[in-house]
Amino acid sequence: MSFLLPKLSSKKEVDEAIKSVAEKVLVLRFGRDKDLVCLQLDDILAKTAHDLSKMATIYLVDVNKVPVYTQYFDISYIPSTVFFFNGQHMKVDYGSPDHTKFIGSFKTKQDFIDLIEVIYRGAMRGKLIVQSPIDPKNIPKYDLLYQDI
Amino acid sequence: MADGGPGGAAPVPMATAAYRCPLCRRSAFSGRRSHLYSAGHQRRLRGVLARLREKVEAARKTLKHAVVVPYDPVEHEKQFWCTCCKQEVKQHLSHGILTALCGGIVEHMASPEHKTAVYTFWWENKADPNLKSQFLISSEDYELFKASLTKALDAYEAGNDEVIQQMAAHIRNVEQIRQEMVQAISEPQMETELCKGVAVARTCPGTQSDCSFAMEEHEQPVPSRSATCSRERLGSSRSTTTELDWQEAEQSLTFIGHQETQGKGNVHTGAKPPWLLEDGKSTGEIGPSYEEFLKEKEKQKLKKLPPDRVGANFDHTSQTGEGWLPSFGRVWNHGRRWQSRHQFKAEAGSKKPKMKSL
Repeated sequence: MSFLLPKLSSKKEVDEAIKSVAEKVLVLRFGRDKDLVCLQLDDILAKTAHDLSKMATIYLVDVNKVPVYTQYFDISYIPSTVFFFNGQHMKVDYGSPDHTKFIGSFKTKQDFIDLIEVIYRGAMRGKLIVQSPIDPKNIPKYDLLYQDI
Repeated sequence: MADGGPGGAAPVPMATAAYRCPLCRRSAFSGRRSHLYSAGHQRRLRGVLARLREKVEAARKTLKHAVVVPYDPVEHEKQFWCTCCKQEVKQHLSHGILTALCGGIVEHMASPEHKTAVYTFWWENKADPNLKSQFLISSEDYELFKASLTKALDAYEAGNDEVIQQMAAHIRNVEQIRQEMVQAISEPQMETELCKGVAVARTCPGTQSDCSFAMEEHEQPVPSRSATCSRERLGSSRSTTTELDWQEAEQSLTFIGHQETQGKGNVHTGAKPPWLLEDGKSTGEIGPSYEEFLKEKEKQKLKKLPPDRVGANFDHTSQTGEGWLPSFGRVWNHGRRWQSRHQFKAEAGSKKPKMKSL
């Protein structure tokens, strides 16, 4: 499913994407095309991309091609989805340990659409962190392990 | 009006019509005596005659010494009113381009019609007969005037010739001076310091022709004397043949070459001036382009968005280098977001040496 969405393969391209997307939610999916969960997530993203085209721009990023960002965003599980708005990072309180990114795949397309809408509206109101509208049952569970702690 | 008629001696043109005195301008009279002898009429009569007499006296003065002047249409078309003849008469006598002053008055006063009119006027208005002679010019006087006029015309023409002669002499003089100057400059030699004084004096206007001739002769031996010292300035002297001596002496101008127009023409041939020529850059499009218009439209749209939204004044077009990282909040919810970036950079910096050491 990854071929349906545009891909960013270098740090420069990611930089450009973050800087150039204006007044829209930028969705960066960090993962690998062949990964199973990534395939699931890509399917949801690809199918909702058109509906969300006025609110969000979605890019797929390979974690191995942009190690700087992988380190910077501290991505230890794939897929991880990071949101930006006007070049600013948007945090979302999913009820999980990490607010900075969504880890794993959404259960339904509607979950993703709701999340984008909430981020968009929150950003428009000047919020840097929003409450996730997704049912906590549908959010994947994981153990956050901090390096060097 | 019973007593409307004039006195018995006065001629009555029409007995039935009311008599109207032309001098007093009235036809109603009172008193036993005739109106013509009344004090008012006589006073007016004297006034009218005095006015006429002034002109006649002026004309009488020119009888012996006629004056001839060039014709002036405004001045010399004047007319005067002859009270006796009751008509306008030309004051001056004009013929072609010349005018005899007061000639018209003299001619009129000497005419037999005027003589008759004067007699009639005196009879009708009961004027003093002794004054009659003052308003008439006898035929002898008229002959005298004719003779003096002929003399005056001759004198005028002679004076005219003299003026023309003088002007011709002046023109000849100037022409001669000019020719000498051109000749002197075109000679391929440079005057020495001594000669300069002479040269400057020669250019002075109003020099007598014979004087400049003398200088011409005086100048001849000079070139041979100063030939050796003047040879070095020969070239500059030749290039400025048409210039005046003082320009040569004061400054030598630099010639930068004839300007080739290459078919475009210049100011003398009426070419298009440079400020109207089209530059290579300008494409003739006036005002903002369509792309700029779209950008402006986008900006207008952005103004409608809430001003305090996230990243409202984020510069999307800023140029950034390799080391740029977006603002990213780490898992902790305190502190500024750029702190995470600095922290990351510090970690990366401290990590690299570690890895090298490993």
